[in-house]
Amino acid sequence: MTTTTTLRPTDLAEVRDAVRDTPGRLAVAGAGTAAGWAGELGAVDAVLDLAGLTGVITHNPGDMTVSAHAGTPLRALTEELAEHGQHVSLDAARIADGATLGGLLATADSGPSSLVYGTLRDLVIGVTVVLADGTVARSGGHVIKNVAGYDLAKLLHGSYGTLGVLAEVVLRLHPVPKRTATLVVDAPLARAAELAARVLEGPFEPVALEWTSDGRLLVRIEGTDEALPARVARLQEVLGAGATTPEGDPWTRHAELTRGAPDAAVLRIGARPSLLPALVSELAPDAATAGLGTGVATVSLPPDAVADAHTRVHAAGGTSQLRSRPVGADAPAWGPPPSALAVLRAVKTALDPDGRFGPGRFSPWM
Amino acid sequence: MTLHGGVRQAFERVLDPADVLSDPVKCRAYECDGLTGYRVCPDLVLLPRDAAQVAAAVRVCHEHKVPFVARGAGTGLSGGALPVADGVVISLARLKRVLEVDPANRRAVVEPGVTNLEITAAAAPHGLYYAPDPSSQQVCTIGGNVAENSGGAHCLKYGFTTNHVLSCEVVLPDGSVVTLGTDTGEQAGPDLRGVFLGSEGTLGITTSITVRLLRTPESVRTLLADFPSVAAAGDVVSDIVAAGIVPAAVEMMDTLAIEAAEEAVHAGYTVGVPAALVVELDGPVEECDAQFEQVKAICEKHGCTRLHIAGSVEERAKIWKGRKAAFAAVGRISPDYFVQDGVVPRTRLAEVLDRIAGMGTDAGLRVANVFHAGDGNLHPLVLYSAAAGETERAERLSGEIAELCVEMGGSLSGEHGIGTDKACSMPKMFSEDDLAVMARVQAAFDPHNLCNPGKVLPTPRLCGERPGKYRAHPLEESGVIERL
Repeated sequence: MTTTTTLRPTDLAEVRDAVRDTPGRLAVAGAGTAAGWAGELGAVDAVLDLAGLTGVITHNPGDMTVSAHAGTPLRALTEELAEHGQHVSLDAARIADGATLGGLLATADSGPSSLVYGTLRDLVIGVTVVLADGTVARSGGHVIKNVAGYDLAKLLHGSYGTLGVLAEVVLRLHPVPKRTATLVVDAPLARAAELAARVLEGPFEPVALEWTSDGRLLVRIEGTDEALPARVARLQEVLGAGATTPEGDPWTRHAELTRGAPDAAVLRIGARPSLLPALVSELAPDAATAGLGTGVATVSLPPDAVADAHTRVHAAGGTSQLRSRPVGADAPAWGPPPSALAVLRAVKTALDPDGRFGPGRFSPWM
Repeated sequence: MTLHGGVRQAFERVLDPADVLSDPVKCRAYECDGLTGYRVCPDLVLLPRDAAQVAAAVRVCHEHKVPFVARGAGTGLSGGALPVADGVVISLARLKRVLEVDPANRRAVVEPGVTNLEITAAAAPHGLYYAPDPSSQQVCTIGGNVAENSGGAHCLKYGFTTNHVLSCEVVLPDGSVVTLGTDTGEQAGPDLRGVFLGSEGTLGITTSITVRLLRTPESVRTLLADFPSVAAAGDVVSDIVAAGIVPAAVEMMDTLAIEAAEEAVHAGYTVGVPAALVVELDGPVEECDAQFEQVKAICEKHGCTRLHIAGSVEERAKIWKGRKAAFAAVGRISPDYFVQDGVVPRTRLAEVLDRIAGMGTDAGLRVANVFHAGDGNLHPLVLYSAAAGETERAERLSGEIAELCVEMGGSLSGEHGIGTDKACSMPKMFSEDDLAVMARVQAAFDPHNLCNPGKVLPTPRLCGERPGKYRAHPLEESGVIERL
């Protein structure tokens, strides 16, 4: 039986040395909040645990940029930035569980506010990555606007640790909104979709527009103290008399549904928003969140229904990937391969010719 | 013509022979893009009529190992569409159909030869628009925008082309056709679309682009404010940011740029003031009104000498006309000019402008400044006279300004691209390892280096060999990173 070594680098040089000096296959671990996502990790010789590679490197409040080590939990960064009234505009549910910057980037995770702010790919402006041969490479920079060179940060977004080890991440920041409000209205999915379409047609500029399978539509807007109450009132006119701004955090249930039940397989899907309600109704009308503006949904399924779900989503022109699955369950992580599979494999070979990083993550594609 | 007749015949088999140009007089029209200082006459120019013909043409290139350069409207400012010797130009000018406008999903599917503004025109009846707005938007094409990851005045709030393109159908350098990206922002696997966007035509040719459309904002408020100094105008920008306001756009012009623009389009700018700011807010009417009052107060606090608020759509258009015409307008006050596109951290704007002024004085040349003040993207215009033999000096100053931006922790280019123009400056910003890794990614897409070769990455032929000894990483020299 082989033993798996765990390495705990705490700075960039140690990451490089660990990759260079450790033979064999390597996995990268952050906070472990998405360790079971995507394809199941194959056998590795060593795990690079980046839990100690933390901390802000530079924060330039006036420029609204921050660079930090990849093992930094985003919630810790959020706390640090709060005193400057700034934040990273990402609201993936697992941030609350301690998810790290590198982990969030590598898994292409995002939350409801991706409707306006996009995913981490839209917020990352630079990366430092360590390749399988120990090469330390940088891409992007420390300014928000920058088109010099290939944007390798994008390539790492969603790469699940298979192309290189993210060591440092540079992000653009946004001001923390002065005031936020979420309107909640009870609505079955079809009705919620109608209401969402009306909200999107209007001048309301929602930052999140999500349906949850407990039969509620959640509409979040943000703005200033002066303007927000009037905007809430206008939005209420569209959503109807049943729309309220409830006490407490109306997003808790949404986050729970995104995580899924422990005995379920959780599939994240993306499709044109107009096609999403039908897909969600078909797949998991009782255990889902549906981004009615983003086209991104999370559904909980029995593991044996996953293969069929991939097929259905792809038939609708959509995208799907498995997130968590029950321990021991056999469910395919990915649907049909993308048309660009040959390029994807060529990029993998170019950056990690011996297939050292993250074996199994994109099985059976590569 | 150095491409042998057999290659031409191969192109003529997949395209209408009339769409294969070989007459040097006709080909000369394609010898440069908006960076007119670099010219290479292509051997052949191909004018495919649809995506299938583009793919077929690329397959011929691949089979015969002929380098090719895709070209849209040719408005690029970095020589990204500069032809290569013994190669062909593939013009996408005829792929100009809007294939689909899908208001329910707020997106459109367009061919690469559609202009930036035509997308918005097609979306406008639905109350939607396409957000990235390069100054050349009336003529530049979306295919070129994809290649360059174009920005524009409003990208401060709304982001760049990369943030607004959901997917691209791409003809890879071997002629195969793939889709990069998906119908939503959701990915399955690494974001290849994100690498393709801004790759300056070196990874393939896009033949169909799915873009996001945004709802036209309910309210737009625009002001033009004069300031007694560039520093005062810069302080206004800092205070706006510190107040947590994200304006749709913040643009600054200096005396020379104002003088040129005013002479060209009479947009109502004040000739002679040291600095003018254009600030635009958009969004729901209540937010816009509240924040606009704050912005006005900030302008006044910093000694604004004149505050002109656009009272109508026409007045706003006029303010923007002055700003967007500034590049071309400089032609009125100088026979020739170079445009630079460096970026500095916004907080160092005043400092970098001082340095640029000093460098101009030392070189004996005037430099006009028009820039996106909100994100630190400068557009220094180095004015010179080729007839007076100033070209080389101006070119040197222009390059030094771009490299100064890197020294200040910024970038060589914010939106115009590296292209041919700045490829040799890339080692100022990136280490050999950084560039080697980029080259590995490029080779994964294009192993035979046929697709727009010689752009983005420095080549020994173009830039000369560099000595092999240890050199500090450029960011290490500028104090941004520490040595390993």
